[in-house]
Amino acid sequence: MKKILIANRGEIAVRVIRACREMDIAPVAVYSECDRTALHVRYADEAYPIGPSEPRESYLRIERIVDAALKAGADAVHPGYGFLAENSAFAAAVRDAGLIFIGPTPKAIETMGSKTAARAAAKRAGVPVVPGTEDPIASDAPDAKIAAVASSIGYPVLVKAVAGGGGKGMRTVTDRQELSSAVRAARSEAGAAFGDAAIYLERQLTRPRHIEVQLLGDAHGTVLPFVERECSIQRRHQKVVEETPSTAVSPALRQAMTSAAVAVARAVGYTNAGTIEFLLDQDGRFYFLEMNTRLQVEHPITEMVTGVDLVQWQIRIARGERLALDPAALVTPKGHSIECRVYAEDPDNHFLPSPGRIVALRTPGGPGIRDDSGAAAGLDVPIFYDPMISKLVAWAEDRPRAIARMRRALGEYRVAGIKTTVPFFIWLLAQAEFVDATFHTTYLDEVLQARHGRPFVEPTPEVEEIAAIAAAVQAVLSPAPVGPQNGASSAACRGQWKSHARAEALRGM
Amino acid sequence: MMQSEFEVAGRTREVTVTRTGDGFAVAVDGHTWNVDAARIDGQTLSLLVDNVWRKSYDIIATPDPATKQLTVHVGTTPVTVARNGRRRGRKESGASGAGPQRVFAPMPGKVVRILVKAGEAVRARQPLVVVEAMKMENELRAGRDGTIADIHAQEGASVDAGALLIIIQ
Repeated sequence: MKKILIANRGEIAVRVIRACREMDIAPVAVYSECDRTALHVRYADEAYPIGPSEPRESYLRIERIVDAALKAGADAVHPGYGFLAENSAFAAAVRDAGLIFIGPTPKAIETMGSKTAARAAAKRAGVPVVPGTEDPIASDAPDAKIAAVASSIGYPVLVKAVAGGGGKGMRTVTDRQELSSAVRAARSEAGAAFGDAAIYLERQLTRPRHIEVQLLGDAHGTVLPFVERECSIQRRHQKVVEETPSTAVSPALRQAMTSAAVAVARAVGYTNAGTIEFLLDQDGRFYFLEMNTRLQVEHPITEMVTGVDLVQWQIRIARGERLALDPAALVTPKGHSIECRVYAEDPDNHFLPSPGRIVALRTPGGPGIRDDSGAAAGLDVPIFYDPMISKLVAWAEDRPRAIARMRRALGEYRVAGIKTTVPFFIWLLAQAEFVDATFHTTYLDEVLQARHGRPFVEPTPEVEEIAAIAAAVQAVLSPAPVGPQNGASSAACRGQWKSHARAEALRGM
Repeated sequence: MMQSEFEVAGRTREVTVTRTGDGFAVAVDGHTWNVDAARIDGQTLSLLVDNVWRKSYDIIATPDPATKQLTVHVGTTPVTVARNGRRRGRKESGASGAGPQRVFAPMPGKVVRILVKAGEAVRARQPLVVVEAMKMENELRAGRDGTIADIHAQEGASVDAGALLIIIQ
């Protein structure tokens, strides 16, 4: 394998480029109109345009990406996460063009991509699933029939999209009265986000924790699990902070969950990197939730506590290598790692996407800090894609030190021109529930609701005084207002942010 | 000297900036700070502000062309600042300021050394008196050029916060 085309953008494209470079493989980028100046284009050896900024005109166009790979003479295609990463037709198209798809087989993607088929596979493997419907609910099913199913499962129930992910097409229903409208809303959201309006019902567990197991499987029958990740800090079903190991998982539970994860993967002949997601209830019972058949956004924290480069292993597995890793070491975490997903969102305005150009960006560094980013000063955060600008990752010997290190790093983070969720993270990491790890998947939504939109950072009198001094001194130093650098965003990247970014089903990976 | 009115986080502040040789004397609502300002780039400033300690502030200030407001990031904290129009501006005329400058003890402590004598001419930012507080020695400096009119402090004396130490004419 000499050349890999990366069918993605943003931080994950940069991440894959870095793995390629370290393996002496030439990275090839593809880009949409508004990504001409993006970092992944500038870091790659070659870059090919694949169309207009709209994802469906570029990063979701299978034939254009395969054409670019053939034109570049690439040996393989890495899909990243999001976009086409879990599209079995894309994996098949890459394979049919005579190229290697760096990921599982099209069949494994297809099986695990259907939530109901995945639940059936987990059951066959002897792994408990959250109580719910076996099959998708027919689009013409009468309300009375759906209500009967819901009653047999027991309220509260979740209405979920069969093709779902990232909280799209998902509704919580607490009683019969809400059921019909929730089903309609979930169907329409799922249809818009995934092109598939099928839904199913699942019981909503009380205050569960989200625990997931990273796996690597090679083409020679070996499947190895990694120490669990906890992703219970979620806002509207989307992960915000992840950490490993979980404080809620004992060595015995780790053994049980990793074994269950391997059993599910084996049941579908899984290869390459994948993640089995579980819910852990308050009694310590776990249930299969779903499988993600790709690299996960939060993969760096696993790398930090195991020292294994997951992206390099994806490539090594794809070129036929055996998993030459010590299985015991993968489930024995060294220290603790936390990731904060830094978004271009205004936490003080309902976390709405924050438009504009990144005027200044200075990211933290130093011991135990890793910043995986696709953003840079001078670039717009395009309206068309997920507004994540970087993944800030901290590692330390133990959890309290990892929290201290993350707080230190957040304090070093400087970004101007756009609003980000950094102030929100500074607040979150100071909360007793976070420090004590007594959270669950609905903790954040509950606490945010209780705050009634109170700002996350309120300037102290000292800070206000300094702001006045700074504004006055800057006015003396530069009598003319600073030029149009902040206002001129490139035409290709402009548009209606709020409606747009929300419509894209590209996050929550 | 430049005198302006700024709206800082919704509150009106009177700010007067006077160049003082190697820095600025900045008065906010009548309270004067000695400020060493280093420009890093178009929007980045490093401020060292003499108070009890010489505190360091990392500043990024970016204008919003739509609202004509400035977002001043003091560290990670963004503060919205709007300028209410230049009320009075005149050409720099060296370091000068109106009226006597009073130097107060910024916090309770002990006067360790007095570095000037009455009648002595001083330059802006020249150290005047050293006050020890919390095991740290803090130099208090002149905000502008002038002459020492009066010294109220005694070496070795304990002082309360806000005690008048020196008057510069």
